[in-house]
Amino acid sequence: MNILFIEDDAIETMKLHRTVSKLQLRVNIVEAKNGEEALEYLKSGGESPDIILLDLNMPRMSGIEFLKILKEDDKMKYLPTIVLTTSENRADLLECYKIGIAGYVIKPLKYEDYESKLKKVLDYWNINELVKA
Amino acid sequence: MESKEVILLKKALDRQKKARVQAEKILESKSKELYDVTLHLKHANSKLENLLSEKTSELDGVFINIIDPYVVMDLQFNVINMNLSAKEFLGYDHTKETINLEKLVHKDYIDYTVSSFNSLLEIGTLKNYKAKIYVKDGSEKYVQINASMIYDKDHKPIAAQGIIRDVTHEMEISHLLTEQKRQLDIIIENSPLSIALIVDGKVIKANKTFLNLLGYSEAELKKLSVNDISSPEESEESLRLLTLMESGELDNFSITKHYVRKDGTTLLAKTSVNAVKDDDGRVAYEVAMIEDITEQRNLELQKEKLLKELEASNQGLHEYAHIVSHDLKSPLRSISALATWLAEDYNDKLDENGVFNLQQIQEKIAGMDKLIDGILKYSSINNDHLENTKVDLNEVINEIREIIFIPENVNVIIMNTLPTIFADKTKIHQLFQNLIANAVVNIEREEGLVQIYSEESEAYWKFSIQDNGVGIPKEYHEKIFKIFQSIGNGQRSTGIGLSIVKKIIELYEGRIWLESSKGEGTTFFFTLKK
Repeated sequence: MNILFIEDDAIETMKLHRTVSKLQLRVNIVEAKNGEEALEYLKSGGESPDIILLDLNMPRMSGIEFLKILKEDDKMKYLPTIVLTTSENRADLLECYKIGIAGYVIKPLKYEDYESKLKKVLDYWNINELVKA
Repeated sequence: MESKEVILLKKALDRQKKARVQAEKILESKSKELYDVTLHLKHANSKLENLLSEKTSELDGVFINIIDPYVVMDLQFNVINMNLSAKEFLGYDHTKETINLEKLVHKDYIDYTVSSFNSLLEIGTLKNYKAKIYVKDGSEKYVQINASMIYDKDHKPIAAQGIIRDVTHEMEISHLLTEQKRQLDIIIENSPLSIALIVDGKVIKANKTFLNLLGYSEAELKKLSVNDISSPEESEESLRLLTLMESGELDNFSITKHYVRKDGTTLLAKTSVNAVKDDDGRVAYEVAMIEDITEQRNLELQKEKLLKELEASNQGLHEYAHIVSHDLKSPLRSISALATWLAEDYNDKLDENGVFNLQQIQEKIAGMDKLIDGILKYSSINNDHLENTKVDLNEVINEIREIIFIPENVNVIIMNTLPTIFADKTKIHQLFQNLIANAVVNIEREEGLVQIYSEESEAYWKFSIQDNGVGIPKEYHEKIFKIFQSIGNGQRSTGIGLSIVKKIIELYEGRIWLESSKGEGTTFFFTLKK
């Protein structure tokens, strides 16, 4: 499964990598530091991701701005996007669901909790039929 | 010759005799005639006398039997005759005393009476004379008199007769009505409501307020229809309702609509219209009461706008709090992950102390995370309901001791066992934490002491937090509770802490104050409603 991981925080990226390798999940991660970078990648013609993990608070282009552009694109709008954020702001949550997301996961404080949450999310998408490009 | 003379004389005498006899005969027959005539006259006279007496008694009967008071007076107003009813009404009897009617008239009516009498003299009749008089017992009466003159055979006026009607009661009612109308008029004229009478869609009467409101004079307004003073886009609806009302389907209605003033400006008014029906149940006219609510509406709109602005600014604050909390929480998550990895990856290299310290890091991180959540919740204090539960304050203080930095030289001591109160734990935690943190920070002595007391009264809990710190100068005692007003010299001081404290206390209908002396310390007192 190909994951496009959009996250500006280096340690968050380390957390995902550590989780994936620790749980020996068979995934391929492409990183993007913000929305702009992610769009560039998506338009570059590289291998299309199966799912997107999206942080909300990022410099340059926020997660929500990225999400809007994504959902307005005729092809990219099919990409399941799971928001992964520390924001418990209800307004953010509602806005995301309004634009269209496949999940909204709050980053827990403890790393152990992060591992278990991420495992569930990735396991879930592993058993899903995905839109192949 | 003598005999010739004699014969002549005899003849003459004879003629004379004959003539006398003839005259006697004529006389006799004339006498007879006269006698007959006399006899006839006598008879006729007696017949007339009877007739007259009959008529007189008949008239007397009529006179007596007139139910209304009836009076005959001479030209000097002296009563010549009056019926029983008049005697009863006036209380006087002309057979016992002289009554001068002019003297009975109230002084306000003297002039009127004189002119009325002159008119009676001139025309011969007087109709509808109305005046106030005094009757014998001194009471005032209103009378209405219809009178006519009586003339002698030469058509010389000799007396006047009149029928009196006691209209005192009617006049009283009429005066009462006038008075009530006057009172009503005062009320209506001075009413802050604009009031108008409408017939067939036209204003036939309006009060001062109405005229002032629309800027028309009464005369101008009377020429206009309701349509003319209504805003064109809304006149249809009010006409529809008026039509319904005139057909009897509607007794009253209310409508808020715009009116157009004489100068063309418009105003918004609440209008209520009531139908007034005549005895046959037909609508006689409509009473419209109009209240100018332009200002009110403007205020409402202004209020709405302010509320929206406030909402937006609250929302902004809320957003701001979320962003700040996110920015604080993200690094916490990183630190937590790093500490976890340290413990995992260097498990075999860490001694007991190292493992303990890593655990401590995790605990501090957890405490801080919780606090951030608390602040976040506090930012939405207006929208969020308080989550009131039982809160053991001793526990709260212990938690605070764990979270905040307390230098080794400072002791935070609970002086008497604190109560368990029913409140929102996060907010109470924040309240005590801010006060204790404040106290701890401001201690410069070698042995710092923060003492926490509680006292129970009927309706309130009273707490005090006493420190032996630097003290707060008197002039700052009020200022420190205002947001962003920091008097601390430490960089950690944000100036938010005590204003948060005050807000939480106010949520529980309590108050906060302090006593302080420089160099000796400060005691914060506060109450919370049970």
